[in-house]
Amino acid sequence: MPPTLNPAQQKVEDHFLLKSGFSVVLQMPTGSGKTWLAKKAIHEALVSGKRSIYLCPLKALAEELVKDWAQEFGKENVGIFTGDYGKQGGKYPVSFQKANILIMTPERLDGCTRSWRSHWSWIPEVDWLVVDEIHMLGDWHRGPRLEGTISRFKRLNPFTRILGLSATLGNRGELADWLEGVELDTDWRPVPLEWKVARYRKPEEKPSLLASEVARVNREGGQTIVFVQSRRRSEQIAKLLSEQGLNALHHHAGLTHSKRRVVESAFRNNQTSILVATSTLEMGLNLPARQVVLYDLQAFDGIGFSPLPVNTIWQRAGRAGRPGLDDSGEALLLAPVWERNIDHYSKGCFEPIRSGIARPDTLAEQILVEVHSGLARTENQLKRVFNTSLAALQKQTIDIQKNTLNMLNAGMLRKEEVGDRILLKATRLGHVVCRHQLQPSTVLRLRQFFESLKSFTDFDLLLIAASTPDCEPRLPVDYEELETLTEELVRQPSRLFEDFKHAGDLLGIGGKQLLSALKNALVLWRWMVTGDTDMVAEEEGCYPFEIHRLIESMDRLLLASASIQRAIDEPFPADQEDSSKPPKSEALLRIELLRQQILNGIEGPAAALTLVDGIGASWIRRLIAHGVCSLKSLAEADSQNLATLSKLSEKRATDWIKQASTLQQRVPATVQAGRIPTRPSDIDLEVDPYRLRRATELNVKWSQSNLWNVTGGSEPRQVTKAENGHFNCSCPDHAKGNTCKHQLAVRLRLNDKILHQSFRNMNANAEIPYLDLFGLWFERN
Amino acid sequence: MIRKQLHTPSGTIQFPAYIPVTTFGRKYPLDGLIQPYLPRMAQAVMVSHHYALQMTKRPRLPLMIDSGGFAALFEGSRILERDGLGVLEINLGEEPELLTPWDVLDFQEQHADIAFTLDFPIPPNLDKKEATLRQKLTIKNALWARNNRRRSDMRLFACIQGWDIESIGRCAEAYASASFDGIALGGMVPRAKDRKLVLSCVREVRKKILDLPLHVFGLGHPEFVEELISAGVDSIDSSAYVKAAADGKSWFDPNTPMSEPSPTDRLRLALENLAFVSGKVPGRHRLQLYEKSFM
Repeated sequence: MPPTLNPAQQKVEDHFLLKSGFSVVLQMPTGSGKTWLAKKAIHEALVSGKRSIYLCPLKALAEELVKDWAQEFGKENVGIFTGDYGKQGGKYPVSFQKANILIMTPERLDGCTRSWRSHWSWIPEVDWLVVDEIHMLGDWHRGPRLEGTISRFKRLNPFTRILGLSATLGNRGELADWLEGVELDTDWRPVPLEWKVARYRKPEEKPSLLASEVARVNREGGQTIVFVQSRRRSEQIAKLLSEQGLNALHHHAGLTHSKRRVVESAFRNNQTSILVATSTLEMGLNLPARQVVLYDLQAFDGIGFSPLPVNTIWQRAGRAGRPGLDDSGEALLLAPVWERNIDHYSKGCFEPIRSGIARPDTLAEQILVEVHSGLARTENQLKRVFNTSLAALQKQTIDIQKNTLNMLNAGMLRKEEVGDRILLKATRLGHVVCRHQLQPSTVLRLRQFFESLKSFTDFDLLLIAASTPDCEPRLPVDYEELETLTEELVRQPSRLFEDFKHAGDLLGIGGKQLLSALKNALVLWRWMVTGDTDMVAEEEGCYPFEIHRLIESMDRLLLASASIQRAIDEPFPADQEDSSKPPKSEALLRIELLRQQILNGIEGPAAALTLVDGIGASWIRRLIAHGVCSLKSLAEADSQNLATLSKLSEKRATDWIKQASTLQQRVPATVQAGRIPTRPSDIDLEVDPYRLRRATELNVKWSQSNLWNVTGGSEPRQVTKAENGHFNCSCPDHAKGNTCKHQLAVRLRLNDKILHQSFRNMNANAEIPYLDLFGLWFERN
Repeated sequence: MIRKQLHTPSGTIQFPAYIPVTTFGRKYPLDGLIQPYLPRMAQAVMVSHHYALQMTKRPRLPLMIDSGGFAALFEGSRILERDGLGVLEINLGEEPELLTPWDVLDFQEQHADIAFTLDFPIPPNLDKKEATLRQKLTIKNALWARNNRRRSDMRLFACIQGWDIESIGRCAEAYASASFDGIALGGMVPRAKDRKLVLSCVREVRKKILDLPLHVFGLGHPEFVEELISAGVDSIDSSAYVKAAADGKSWFDPNTPMSEPSPTDRLRLALENLAFVSGKVPGRHRLQLYEKSFM
């Protein structure tokens, strides 16, 4: 505990907020001591024999905290609960029961509230639920689940006080109202923040402008964090700066956790002076620098590029200025000379946090969770739950009746008469949604697939799982990759694509989303064949770390798939005591086998060896080396011979052989199927269809005679029209002599008839009855 | 003012106190939700002998265990005299169940901070002979428990039963100088409608037992609590807070019950009700914050 409080902390203390008995929303700039205040509240709870939860948005930050706090509060008191621990019944370093301070990711606490009965021994003892970076409530993916989690926790433990922390909230008061608490903000910063803008005429000037600005700070001994819009760009810029004699490293989510830790510690120890990062460094980690450069003021939003929100700019700029080392921190924006609307960034008018819980997909999921956990069993009860949501406070329409009906019709919920009441209950399908923390649409899509396709190939299954909204990460596909992807796909056998229309219906996605799902499926396939993530990453233009996350995601989806298939195979399961269980269906075995293949990176007949209890990936590799490559060869093996392998007793070998001879009858045969029909792009158009399609997504603004500003791409561009009628653009594509998308956008805006006709022709070609990756690329999502 | 208090192995109870009743087992799942919060809301908790037998995890606050003698009011129950003491035969299932002073005391000594002696309630209009027998055996059981207790740190309360003010006074007199840690007045629930009578009984007992702690069983309705305390009661136990919550009723707003309350709605209502009724007890201190956050 520091001997003196800083003005921000003093303000919180002067208002007795942490002793008020109410929940508190605190808005304080980065580095002004929010975590210290949380620690103080937690300490007081601990002294009075109560527990606290600290919700951390990032696993890495949780790891960092647990190390610090274990020293301070005693390691027996501090437990870490993130996706990296407690897998498949594994133990946590400190159990839920024993931890008085629980450092968790929101997803883990979500799981605890869903199965609250198993956690009832500790939930009522919690005094503080600290939600760090509470603006995450507005996050499209994680926000609704966080909101549902907080809501359930408050109902299960009405004594819990929420301490919400953030540097950027546009509606602090509203959040405090939702939590029935109080709020406070302070703008005191340990180091004053100075905003600067560096202007460029053309985007090509950005790297050299950056280099000179960074070098200026560097000469004075200051460090810089540069925020850019993509991983590739972070690598390029770091390389470019290094080539100019500057000491720069890149940092993004494609790097493994350990690699990131190495980069962070190099920066912390001043071994490197520049970090070029993506949004990974936006939240959490204590990593200040004298200068923060916002290299890109726009980010890819899933469809196109849109301006960065003020909240994001401040989350990043907040890292500027190292307490005790710098007199001031510098937030530097790189902007084109003609862009005038950037003053609002430095003013810090933050966007309000909007609840996403009323969206049909998230509402359906939350309804299921409430019913499944037994916390709401009737429509009235559900209405009461969601009437206290942030969405309700924000006057969003929450249609419980319609969504409940949808879930009933989809077979996720059912009605049951209990005495004189009719109660809602989750079906087995609904159970799958809640148990695996999936969206209902994911489970519905999988069910539809298994119900309508009695026979499917491994690739079909990988693709359908990859096409669900819960598959992550979504590997991006570059235009340049389409040819290679087409070639790789043509080698894949598929039952799914025997009927294109049906395949489209089952997959439920198109355009770049489908391209991404196809790439995900191919990457996983390559992983199964090679068992080497580094090699696959190299070949497919992604990162090994992404493949590991994809494997984790696929594991969860295939586990859920197996439960769904079981529900289809046995709609009315017999009693557990009944020993006459029917044998597993072929489809179920196929799913289980594929899951083992994905988990272990194995393919072919050897994969079936994983069905034997006690045989995992490493044993399979050893068995293969010993000449045992399938269940059949294991069944025919000699136990004495097998036992020559080290650490394999003859008894165990005999057991394996016995298991193999029973199992080999059950291994499903390879599904015979045709290859996926694809075709290369052969659309004959005046202009490049890709650029034309992109042109339609750009915004054109007339500036002055024969000058247009074009935005919506990765950089804002200016297009001019020469007297001879030719268009010029500031982009590198035009510089290469191509007719760039920016000038096409201007021509479309000027009603160029030829272009409009080309666009119509292109659309007419979209109904091609085979998988046209280029066509998918052009599709608007 | 120095408040009257009672030290128990699990903590000190400051009087006056409202003691919530809870149960164990599967019959009332709501109690399982409320229980972990009772240490924040109450000074002690009351569990009936029948439910205490099903207790797996002990609440972390002083535990009162009654004798279960109220089962004498169940149809088919019989009160028998054995070796000069009163024994209760309960006929609910196929096999009759026997509740004896020694079994009750033995169990209480294993688990209770405050134990109540085995008494036999006397409902209004019970014939005089049976009433007299019940009172006699109630007193004998109490004095037997006093003489046979082994744990000196367990507080032993003698239970009073009677059919009118005078008989109740006599029973109190029998205990007044018998070194009990406190006295408990039973049999008032069927007479609760006649508040005057109840208050007179309380005053009569108070007069006889001087400043010994006085507990009253089962009269936890918030409107009555203040009056009972001014008449000299130190502690009251009741499950009324949870019964109202189960019906969707909040004592803060009793006229607009909630329809179809969910488990957590009921939990919240029960805690609200407990806060409300505790607010009727003078000198409340640990509940203020909670009430504030609900009002």
